Amino acid sequence: MNNGHTNVLLIEDNPGDADLVRLRLVEGDSAVNISCVNRLADGLASMARETPSVVLLDLNLPDSHGSDTFRKVLEKAPGVPIVILSGQDDEVLAMKAMHQGVQDYLVKGDITSHHLERVMRYAIERQALIRTLEMSRKQQLEFKNQFLSHVSHELRTPLTCIHQFVTILLDGLAGDINPDQRYHLGTVLNSVHQLRAMIRDLLEATRAESGKIRIEPRCITIGDLVQQAISMMAATAKEKQVGLEVGLDSRIPFVYADPDRVLQVLINLIDNAIKFTPPEGSVLVKACIVEADPDMVYLSVSDTGRGIGPEAKTLIFERLYQDPNSIDSSRAGLGLGLFIAKELVELHSGRIWVASEVGNGSTFSFTLPLYSLPKLLFPVITYQGRLREAVVLVKVELTPLPAVSRSTWKEICQQSLETLRRCVYVDKDLVLPVVGNVGVSETFLVAASTDVERAEIMMKRIREQLEAGAGFRAAGLMKVSSHAVPLPSREEGSLEVQVQRTANRITEMAMLTENEKPLPQSANGDESAPTN
Amino acid sequence: MEKPKILIVDDDPDLRRALKIRLRANHYDTVQASDGYSAISVAQKEKPNLIILDLGLPAGDGYVVLERLQDSDVLSGIPVIVLTARDPQSNEQKTLQAGAAAFFQKPADNNELLDVIRATLPKAWPGVTLPS
Repeated sequence: MNNGHTNVLLIEDNPGDADLVRLRLVEGDSAVNISCVNRLADGLASMARETPSVVLLDLNLPDSHGSDTFRKVLEKAPGVPIVILSGQDDEVLAMKAMHQGVQDYLVKGDITSHHLERVMRYAIERQALIRTLEMSRKQQLEFKNQFLSHVSHELRTPLTCIHQFVTILLDGLAGDINPDQRYHLGTVLNSVHQLRAMIRDLLEATRAESGKIRIEPRCITIGDLVQQAISMMAATAKEKQVGLEVGLDSRIPFVYADPDRVLQVLINLIDNAIKFTPPEGSVLVKACIVEADPDMVYLSVSDTGRGIGPEAKTLIFERLYQDPNSIDSSRAGLGLGLFIAKELVELHSGRIWVASEVGNGSTFSFTLPLYSLPKLLFPVITYQGRLREAVVLVKVELTPLPAVSRSTWKEICQQSLETLRRCVYVDKDLVLPVVGNVGVSETFLVAASTDVERAEIMMKRIREQLEAGAGFRAAGLMKVSSHAVPLPSREEGSLEVQVQRTANRITEMAMLTENEKPLPQSANGDESAPTN
Repeated sequence: MEKPKILIVDDDPDLRRALKIRLRANHYDTVQASDGYSAISVAQKEKPNLIILDLGLPAGDGYVVLERLQDSDVLSGIPVIVLTARDPQSNEQKTLQAGAAAFFQKPADNNELLDVIRATLPKAWPGVTLPS
């Protein structure tokens, strides 16, 4: 409201109705500025220029009808109070409008000036109240996140002390201990690990809620990851006398996902499965391809536990959900595991769900996208329906110096990859997904739509930027090289086939230059590579 | 035979004591400081071969200590391993940029910490005899 005036935007195409509303408004006591337009488009344009205090809206306009009219206004100006002035008394339409955020619905014939004035005033007040609530909700969320991140930091300090002294005792640094004492201390250490995992989950869930989790998809062998998860959980399963089995489809192509995050999801599901399975039961982890959905890999963890009732099935992925009938309720956990798992899977554009029957065990399944080089390459190496003139494969090899911790090296590689992405042209070059887990040395590949001479400029930039990058100089060695990719002739089959062949060439070249970590064949449309 | 000397900087006396036991058992000498200010003065006096540094410290936090070490001709060659409860996502790169050799979040794995200490020492101090 400017200068104490209420700025009313009246969107009404019937001149008689418009005059009547104007008259009612002028008759009232309060100061109003009225601007009137007769088309929705003009109304939206006017709102874009200056936000009115309130919109009086007729639904049937020359350029829009019915519920479409208020939907468009709500979309364009979400915070502006809207009062509908309709020719017809339609209760269903009125309720629909209210549910979507309209403040009031008046029937033209019933309007008196006093009434209209009051309706407008209340509409404005209600809208302001909603805005205030929305803001304080955001502030509360921010406060809660800060609080949780502070708490998880503060919890780590005493936990570190417990961890240190327990390991000092266990390692015999404070004198010999007898087997009983060793057993008890082992229990303490297990609890330390559990507590550490919970603190991590707390921070992770906070990040998930505020959209701060980042994933770094690579090209991974899902079978290796499943095996890794199994071996990490083997001791827990054995202790509880639960069998742990694997069923791997041997012909699964490479998967495009963040290995740490996928491992986190698998561990979480397997840990849950073991927790809810009685002794002598078993847990089965499977990975397979489903014909109906050829772009995804399907992973599942099944147990022979009690199963989950239908009402729990819909709630189980919610934050803080706890199974009220848990066998082992003394160690129920924070109820964040499945919530985090769902967030992580969805960040990969996958789905997660559960199938279960009470008394018959449960199966948690999730999907992850398969890796497809041609799909990634297509927008980069084609231009206006043709293959580009030249493509070069630039190789960046990073080797760590011995005095670098694994986590530090991982962080440096991550940072270098981000730097590398800033060194290339967004729509002409592609930084290829990295293959496998973070190893000792790391190789990044760039497919660049340029020739070898001009690739020199890019390589110079890459060298300079990486060397300037955080902590790299002290931590590792770098080698940058370029290799021209032989392109198929433009007459050779369709554009798709040409891209597929180029992708195959790049795959071969990457394999030749790096034997221990071959770049995978793409997931779909595998045609045999042209012979050299 | 002279043992490598490690300066432990942490405001938690219990953790300093624990690290001292762990490092001495692995044949390192240790000296200690409990805040940012004394970290610098102890470093000047004792000339340690390596520093284990917490970030949240009174009288000059870990970042201030890193900066002052880098600025000093005498001390800038001493490798620093950061050991902190703070979040790696917002601190790891920053500390490496400020000159740290490695970053660990508490509670850290003992073996990995010892391995990194072993690997970091000879680079800066070729003359140092490593404990077996």
